[in-house]
Amino acid sequence: MPRLGDPIPIGGRTAPSRVVFGPHETNLCRGRAISDRHIGYYRERAAGGTGVLVTETASVHPSDWPYERAPLAEQCGPGWTAVADACRPWRTLVLAGVGHGGGQGSSAYSQAVLWAPSRVADASSRELPAEMTTEEIGSVVEGFAEAARLAIESGLGGVEVDAGAVALLRQFHSGITNLRTDPYGLDRLRFTGEVLRAVRSSLGDTGVLALRISCDELAPWAGVTPDQAAEQVDVLADLVDLLTVVRGGPYTASAYRPDSHVEAGFNLELCRRMRTVVDGRAAVVLQGSVVDPDAASGALERGDCDLVEMTRAQIADPGLVELVREGRSHEARPCILCNQACRVRDNRNPLVSCVGEPRSGHETTEADPVGHDDRIASVLVVGAGPAGLECARVLSSRGHRVRVAERSERVGGALELAAAGLGSRRLAHLADWLAAACERQGVVVQTGVTITTDDLDRARSEGLVAVVATGSRPVPSPVRTDGSCRIIDALSLCAAATRSSTAATDLEGPVLVHDPIGGPIGVRVAEWLAVGCSEVGIVTQDQVVGTQLSSTGDLADANTRLQRAGIRRHLRAILRGVHQGEAVLQDVWTGERSTVTCATIIDCGHRLPEDTLLRGRHQLLRAGDCVAPRTILHAVLEGRRAALAIAGGVTDLANPLVGAAAP
Amino acid sequence: MSASGRYRYLFTPIRLGPIIAPNRIVFSAHLTNYAEDGLPTEQHAAYYAARASGGAGLIITEEHSTHPTDWPYEKLIHGFDPKVVPGYRRITDAVHAFGAPIFAQINHNGGQASSMYSRLPVWAPSPIPDPLFREVPKAVEPHEIAAIVNGYARVAEHCRAGGFDGIELQCSHSSIVRGFLSPATNRREDEYGGTLENRARLLIEIVGAVRQAIGPGLALGVRLCGDELIEGGTTIEDAVTVAALVEAEGDVDYINTSIGVATATLFMIEASMQVPPGYAQYVPSAIRKAVDLPVVGVGRFKDPLQADRALADGVCDLVGVVRGQIADAEFAAKARSGHAADIRTCLSCNQECVGRMGLNRWLGCIENPRTGREREPVAPRRRRRRVVVAGGGPGGLQAAVSAAEVGHRVVLFERRQRLGGQVQVAATVPSRAEFLDLTRNLTSAAQRIGVDIRLGTQATVDTIGELGPDAVIVATGAEPHRPSWAGDLERVVDVRDVLEGRARPHGSVVLVDELGFHQATSTAELLADRGCTVEIATNGMVVGQDLGITLDLETWNVKAHAKGIVQSVDLVAMGIRDEGDGLVLTLQHHPTGVEVERSCDWVVCSVHQRPDDRLWRDLSGGRLHVRRVGDCLTPRRAHAAVIEGHRAAVEL
Repeated sequence: MPRLGDPIPIGGRTAPSRVVFGPHETNLCRGRAISDRHIGYYRERAAGGTGVLVTETASVHPSDWPYERAPLAEQCGPGWTAVADACRPWRTLVLAGVGHGGGQGSSAYSQAVLWAPSRVADASSRELPAEMTTEEIGSVVEGFAEAARLAIESGLGGVEVDAGAVALLRQFHSGITNLRTDPYGLDRLRFTGEVLRAVRSSLGDTGVLALRISCDELAPWAGVTPDQAAEQVDVLADLVDLLTVVRGGPYTASAYRPDSHVEAGFNLELCRRMRTVVDGRAAVVLQGSVVDPDAASGALERGDCDLVEMTRAQIADPGLVELVREGRSHEARPCILCNQACRVRDNRNPLVSCVGEPRSGHETTEADPVGHDDRIASVLVVGAGPAGLECARVLSSRGHRVRVAERSERVGGALELAAAGLGSRRLAHLADWLAAACERQGVVVQTGVTITTDDLDRARSEGLVAVVATGSRPVPSPVRTDGSCRIIDALSLCAAATRSSTAATDLEGPVLVHDPIGGPIGVRVAEWLAVGCSEVGIVTQDQVVGTQLSSTGDLADANTRLQRAGIRRHLRAILRGVHQGEAVLQDVWTGERSTVTCATIIDCGHRLPEDTLLRGRHQLLRAGDCVAPRTILHAVLEGRRAALAIAGGVTDLANPLVGAAAP
Repeated sequence: MSASGRYRYLFTPIRLGPIIAPNRIVFSAHLTNYAEDGLPTEQHAAYYAARASGGAGLIITEEHSTHPTDWPYEKLIHGFDPKVVPGYRRITDAVHAFGAPIFAQINHNGGQASSMYSRLPVWAPSPIPDPLFREVPKAVEPHEIAAIVNGYARVAEHCRAGGFDGIELQCSHSSIVRGFLSPATNRREDEYGGTLENRARLLIEIVGAVRQAIGPGLALGVRLCGDELIEGGTTIEDAVTVAALVEAEGDVDYINTSIGVATATLFMIEASMQVPPGYAQYVPSAIRKAVDLPVVGVGRFKDPLQADRALADGVCDLVGVVRGQIADAEFAAKARSGHAADIRTCLSCNQECVGRMGLNRWLGCIENPRTGREREPVAPRRRRRRVVVAGGGPGGLQAAVSAAEVGHRVVLFERRQRLGGQVQVAATVPSRAEFLDLTRNLTSAAQRIGVDIRLGTQATVDTIGELGPDAVIVATGAEPHRPSWAGDLERVVDVRDVLEGRARPHGSVVLVDELGFHQATSTAELLADRGCTVEIATNGMVVGQDLGITLDLETWNVKAHAKGIVQSVDLVAMGIRDEGDGLVLTLQHHPTGVEVERSCDWVVCSVHQRPDDRLWRDLSGGRLHVRRVGDCLTPRRAHAAVIEGHRAAVEL
């Protein structure tokens, strides 16, 4: 029975494991070329046991420049060579991702018209592309062939051709976007067939040809359905060595790699069906929020697929496959499917990273926490949230003696509270993992212990190094009220929910969720309340709820879920206060006021640092929300940096100019 | 009267401390996103040099960051990094070659930032999150305040070493100094918070440290926000007091001004054509009354006469003309030489300058294909060829002008009796009138350069063939395309039918918008003004979604509210029927799948058009060299037509 860590022959080559690191946007390019940051990023995954690594999809033709840092194949030669060299020691099968975004690209960078099968506006950008001429189609086919030649010359094992959720080839496959009446419309696979044959002839005898293909556009009125996809896959299977089954299309691009609102492993059924159609002609890869090694193994064992793509799981833990091979898969840092740092198709060009593993994408600039120190420190960490636990985890792994003192009865801090309170199990995995790692490594974690400034001074006088990671506290009175309604901050609500299963129904309604941030918390709180309360509304100053969710891909879906759940959205509204049980809302632009009845307000606004221990002690090491309440990534990053500072011999803030401890 | 004699003050020199600016036209600081890896580039040098060559009296560069904790947007110049100095020298040498002085603006954006790029906590006076970035900052401690002040001094030193003639401290619309000055963001209880004198302490310390760093040989200016336009923020009275405090220190040579907060009220900083020109004049005016230092005024100064009038009226001593010089680098030189009519006037459309900035793209201009590409060589003159351009919209006009500029002989056919294409149509809405400047500028350029313009002439294979051209540029535009759900009902029309006068809807009107830009919102305004009851129904999550990046969203919503225009979102048109006494439009609310109906008298569609590419089809396959540009390739916005017209012409 095949296992994740087993090798598998693909085409003329062999992949050392059955785990794929799929192509994804990273913004690590320099210009449009693969950079040294890419090399560091891919090398870590190869070293960790990745079987097939597909580099970030490169445009095969200058007509495609979908995002500013999108690789351009003709500029990728040196970078591909460097990736091949970096991964060679681990025999990883490295494929060049090659594609063309077509009408789902952007004209902002090229300042030239988009190319597409037909003049159909993209559903999200609304840009209207031009219908490709036959000559233009020919030039893109040649672009694919040229890119494949370059990939082989650069020492890569082959290429993966993109016909996935955001791809010109898929646009030709689909009745939504291909309205042509010429041979490329009458046979919607004609273009892809030409591309695959041209690429094959470039690849030579041993080059691997992989295809990523959307098998469900989730738009059955005109899009590719699983039934149609089965026919398409049947035709294309003879032309490829490896086939990755994905989903998504013009209306559902976010369905390709959704966050935890979509159940993990959602493509299982689709993949199984396509593998039956392929019938051994090519190896088939399961994709789609596969983050749990046991689930991945199960899919392999049942014969649902031949390989498993676990991209985000390997962003979270580059060493995943090695841990699986050693029977320690539970020690792998979990992907919590939050999409908060790894989904970077964003105008601001954020670098790919991970909330739990902030070194991902930053391999060349953030220090590696793994190591051993000769000089051993005794460390007191105050606070067992993600910042404190990460600090303790890293220090203990390097041989230091660490005690963590936590005021509450639980470890995991705000992360654990939010997860437990709002029933988001997956979010809790990271807190659980941090706590388990600390426990394995012998960190002493004491709960129910309050550390005072005197305690801190005493500890330091006894030679202990102290790190403060005391988290945040709510803003005292976030909303002006005459006392006619109850105001609860989101975390206190979560804490109540962890103590009592009826916390939501115990609230007096109507409940108004006040969400001036627009992140994941406000939406989650509203949805969670709506299950138990009859009347829930959410107030935002923005034109839609959850504006910050555009980066996780959940913005449109979140607004849809809220509306389906009957949650009233009070948009572009400032909550002025509550008077006699009526919340006063004011339009941000017109100044018009309105009122809405409410008995309870849940404040999901910003919090303040719990910095009591830090006042007047600017030399103290610190991390996370007690510096400034922000995100999990900040907490983990700063917890780790504090640990590495101590590992480097720092006992207080050696360089106070940059705030939290820098390595 | 000399050519510049029309302007009594604009072209008189003015002393700013040790520096003399030859005239009063300032190319004030603004972001460009031209930096790479935190360093200034050759494009920066070429960009500023073009404005110096074009006669600007003073250039102030975009901001240079004074500290690693300050990195709010990707392409910020890291002034604190000593590696910037050679790039500074490249800029200042390029500008000095034309005799203009150039100052560097230095800044720390404070809490108006995120940690996305720096991976460090954001610094601010108090832990109050910025309305745009929404990240809780760290309230700076005394040692961090000292680090901020040192950072300014260090960067000022880099600027001096890089050859700048002066330093401007941005304390105005996105700055930690603004954060300290403003009661809305400064809740400190130490000597940096509370009274205005306390809140200004950081500014005064920075002024002293920077002056010490640069010595007496460089000018030093302070840019202040005159009115934050936010609740509890700095008002003009505070700003005047701060200006007086700054002057009293004796270290500062001029005061620059601004209005608004970049991350809260940006639409008033880089105001679009919806806001009247000169709207911010009350700021310099009030400050100038209180201080003797020269004061710079800014805010939609579009033409030299308007600028001269502000000087004559004592509003200010210098005038910031940013977008005016982005659109035409020779703004000052043309005015001075008596060719003000030749200035490619800015439309304040904000599409390719402000709009691209907000999206982390390099700065461009809707009507100037050279903006952002100054570093690239100008297209060389070509062997004279005969070129026919079909279509007198923005694409065709730009193609004709650019072709004539490189030496071709150009005939332009326009089948109507007027030029301008859809720009002319869009500008018929009163609030969009300035958009007409786009083709008005191009038309006068075409006439000036000798394009043979033939109005009322249909371009056909025959009429073109008669001229025996070497090349044809087809710019025949687009035509409305009736959506399939609309059937053939007479009272279902396109926005162009309304704006071009073919249809005059009355009573209740539903505007179905699938474009998300000015087409629907401006037509809605027009119809509401004509007495119609108007609702806009869009399939998007908001009405006018793309008005956000051009900073038209706020003014649109205020006007829509005043005019009673209803905005409905997430609705997809499914069908329509005529019930004799009116239409019934069926819409589906796509998040919930619920179908709703609207009874109305008219339905107006703002949907994608289709190319009018008949001529191109007729010509293709023939012997002629034929290029399509603009909407006849596929319908888009005006900038695409202009760029493509230019590109086709210079590539002939």
